[in-house]
Amino acid sequence: MNMPAIDAIARMGSRPVLDAKSIMPSRAAAFPAVSDGVASSSGTAAIGRAVKPLIKVERVSMTYRNGKGQEVAALKDVSLDVKEGEFVSLLGPSGCGKTTLLRIIADLLEPSSGSVRIGGLSPRENRLRQKYGMVFQSPVLFEWRNVRGNVRLPLEIMKVDRGEREKRIDDQLDLVGLESFAASYPSQLSGGMQQRVGIARALAIKPELLLMDEPFSALDEFTREKLNEDLLGIWSRTGKTVVFVTHNISEAVFLSDRVFVLSPHPGRLSSVIDIDLPRPRTCETRETPEFFSLVSKIRKSFEGAYARS
Amino acid sequence: MKKNGGVSAIAWTIGVVAVWELGALALAKGLRDPMAASKLPLPQDVAATLARNGASLAEAAAVTFSKATIGFAIGAAVGYLLAVLMSVSRTAERIAFPYLIMSQMIPVLGLAPIIFNLVRNMDASRIVIAAYITFFPVAANSLSGFKSVDVEKRQLMHSYAAGLPTTYAKLMLPFSMPYLFAGLKIAAPMSVTASILVDMLGSKGGIGVKLLYSLYGGATDVFWASVLTSAAMGIMSYAFVLAAERICLPWEAAALASAGRAE
Repeated sequence: MNMPAIDAIARMGSRPVLDAKSIMPSRAAAFPAVSDGVASSSGTAAIGRAVKPLIKVERVSMTYRNGKGQEVAALKDVSLDVKEGEFVSLLGPSGCGKTTLLRIIADLLEPSSGSVRIGGLSPRENRLRQKYGMVFQSPVLFEWRNVRGNVRLPLEIMKVDRGEREKRIDDQLDLVGLESFAASYPSQLSGGMQQRVGIARALAIKPELLLMDEPFSALDEFTREKLNEDLLGIWSRTGKTVVFVTHNISEAVFLSDRVFVLSPHPGRLSSVIDIDLPRPRTCETRETPEFFSLVSKIRKSFEGAYARS
Repeated sequence: MKKNGGVSAIAWTIGVVAVWELGALALAKGLRDPMAASKLPLPQDVAATLARNGASLAEAAAVTFSKATIGFAIGAAVGYLLAVLMSVSRTAERIAFPYLIMSQMIPVLGLAPIIFNLVRNMDASRIVIAAYITFFPVAANSLSGFKSVDVEKRQLMHSYAAGLPTTYAKLMLPFSMPYLFAGLKIAAPMSVTASILVDMLGSKGGIGVKLLYSLYGGATDVFWASVLTSAAMGIMSYAFVLAAERICLPWEAAALASAGRAE
């Protein structure tokens, strides 16, 4: 048990945090053990584990033919690493290839050239071993299944046995705060609640990697900020590696350990910004000068990219 | 909303009967038409005939309806399976679909005697024709359902490394259900009509026989009672499908209710 517990305890009151994995080095460093004495010994081990990259993207390019038969470069020579337990964002305007890159990692698309390894596996091997959970822009819920049934879907496909399955559904619904909506159909939920179900479903399979493709972009600003905070709470309790695609600068800054800034035509990596804001981050974080300066730094890097193109 | 539905149904029934009554009275008393009883008999006369011949009409209706139901079930199953096959394989769709369309060009009136001559059995003919009428709307609607599954839902199944059988069991089949029911609702009254048509080709029983004999025998009251019985059979078949849809697709009702609330 280490520092993520702080985040969780701050959010959840006295709820015991049993499932937080010890793989959060940056926060372990930023927060010396103050609240629970067990953190110190596991902290060093956690740092040792966390240094190794989970995702290695090397010189990935993606070209496709448009309607007129011309070749369009969606991604050009993108290389990046994502460490285990890290929360990273792929940030950029439309056409920068951020979603394409996420889909390549998810093995929903194949790159034209370059290589992607996830924990030493190819994206295809990784997918076939059901090692990632995906959250789409729209919630992609099955209308004919109630909330419980939707979270149960991947567990049925993976043939998780009944007792374990139902327990996991309970845990996930508890995590996203939808216990009392278990029997509701998706059509009876608000957009924000639907997306929570999508997150619960993605986490139900206990993936080591969570891929999120602009999950909150269709929501209003208030719901988005609330879900941002809740997502950080969930992340700190589960310790997943998260790759989060967004076109919203402040969302990327608020959530991430690192932000990969992509620029369009062709889609390429233009800069990597370390977000050293302390955790746990709350709504007050958004008001700090550090937060503003990071947002404006990224915004300037975009202006530079546009000036060039 | 349900209450409103009940009220409007009663209003409709009263309205139709009232218009009918007035029309029949105008024809008989106002215009003094000697053929008024066969053109438009009074509703109470038809009701009396219905009561008098209730047992024999019900018996005839049961013969026709039961065969229509069997044919409907077979046709629906064949149509749905065909749609599954066409959605799985583009080649199967390209081969089968032109034949599906062509099958709809043959008039049932022409096809029914051919089938009867082939099978030489009235019940079997009723079933075959009812199935024939049913399978096309079911196949066409279900196929359009399979084609309407959103890309992201399929990608989600792909991300779970779900194979084709799992994808069909968990996604494609449940997704296509509302489309299947749309086809069934069109097909149900049609299958009853088809079964009645086969009756008329020289069957010994069935509501179609009643229609035919009363029409040529000049028993206009029995004819009108038979027409009403036939209509009731069609409405009943539709109501059965509607009830089955409510039971099988509870989420549709939930979606409708929340859409109503949002307005």
